[in-house]
Amino acid sequence: MRARVVGSVRMAKLGMVARALLAIARDVDSDYELAEQICEACVLGLDVDGAAISLLTASTSRETMCTTDATAKLLEDLQFTLGEGACMEAAVSGGPVLVPDLHHSIEASRWPIFAAAVMEQSEVGALFAMPLQWGTINLGVLDLYRKAPGSLSDAQLRDAISAANMAALMFLGVRTDPGGGAWLDHSLHGHAEIHQATGMVLVQLGISATDALARMRAYAFVDQRLLSDVAHDVVSRRLCFTPDMV
Amino acid sequence: MNQLGSCREQLLSRAFVGLADTLVTGYDMIDLLDRLVGYSVELLAADAAGIMLVDSLRTLHVVASSHEDADVMELMQLEADQGPCVECFRTQMPVSVPDLADAVGRWPVFVAAVESRGAYRSVHALPLRLRGEAIGAMNLYHRLPGSLPEADLALGQALADVATIGILSERAIRHGEVVTEQLQTALNNRVIIEQAKGVLAQRGNLTMTASFDLLRRYARSRNALLSEVARQVVENDLATDVLAAPAVHSKAAHLQ
Repeated sequence: MRARVVGSVRMAKLGMVARALLAIARDVDSDYELAEQICEACVLGLDVDGAAISLLTASTSRETMCTTDATAKLLEDLQFTLGEGACMEAAVSGGPVLVPDLHHSIEASRWPIFAAAVMEQSEVGALFAMPLQWGTINLGVLDLYRKAPGSLSDAQLRDAISAANMAALMFLGVRTDPGGGAWLDHSLHGHAEIHQATGMVLVQLGISATDALARMRAYAFVDQRLLSDVAHDVVSRRLCFTPDMV
Repeated sequence: MNQLGSCREQLLSRAFVGLADTLVTGYDMIDLLDRLVGYSVELLAADAAGIMLVDSLRTLHVVASSHEDADVMELMQLEADQGPCVECFRTQMPVSVPDLADAVGRWPVFVAAVESRGAYRSVHALPLRLRGEAIGAMNLYHRLPGSLPEADLALGQALADVATIGILSERAIRHGEVVTEQLQTALNNRVIIEQAKGVLAQRGNLTMTASFDLLRRYARSRNALLSEVARQVVENDLATDVLAAPAVHSKAAHLQ
């Protein structure tokens, strides 16, 4: 009952991009296709010229999943090559990095080589990088750019951040959910126990936080239970994961 | 001044100095708010307290709590939907509920949840706001019914204001987006802290409260950022080190 009320309240607050993401979610079966649809929704719904998504894989390497145009690709390539930039910073800091005016900002001094290269090789005026992240579970970054300098509006910024949060869940879902069922669990942010259980399961199995959350999601799916219920059992020590479990 | 009064005065000045001390470059917002909760519990004789911050969807999330076990945190998280805290956030005005029994009609789900835990009879909520911008609210729970004296409410608000001024003005000369960035980072750091609590709880067979106390104590004794210590517990094997640190009483840990 309560979940339904919360859901409807949140729906009313969702921006254009977040709503578009909800609509595309279910039948996408590859990460690349998903990234493409998320980037397209951002370009359509926000005041930006291009978007890109790069995912971090198990090691420290990155893989660019989608770029909507040549400039977006250039931005990803430059950061890859130089090892610095707004997107790299977002991945490390875990927070969005917003640069409304690349030519006149103190942020750019944190990545001088990247900023200089972007100014020299493109007409990019504004950069917005949103991490795809849950705590220490960092999946990658959603990069947005605009030629004309200027901030995103408050509503657009909220929309972009919500979209990044949902995108993080979607990538997690695509990777871990065998059937693509009700994997878009809006409540993930609100449930401390899910994060606590992630920490407990990573110790139980000796795996990373990303894998621990994936194992809980898979277990919940097979057992036809909510992730939050499985997490509650872990935290109250009624459920302990062992390597031979699904 | 009697002994009680002067003791409180000492605590008060320590609270303001403590909060101001936290506001150095690169400070940890969760740590700041955790200290605010600790000082408020002591100074306002609350039995529990918590702070909620708003996310990009204007939804409130618990980021600091005097009790790190699920029961109290869940109760506070419930207030994201209904109760004194969300009303205080929306109106940006303090909300006092001297007796929860009188608030059944107003917030039936919240009051029922408090009653089922059988612990608290009165709730006060104070906004975290500055110049018309609200970023969250602080909640004070008391086991006994009754209003907090005006002076106590003013004191609680002053503590909350110091913390909020610090958060909102730290980089105010820069762009307005900074607040959104900081809030998002703080909310994510809170997730990392929860993950780290889980790691320590499993490794050391501890409660979530004890795990958080260890984290906090370890970070403060080394002048390290709470969320950075938490990250290392999750990603690297700092848990062994943290678990080896001697335990302290949780109330004292707040005020270190």
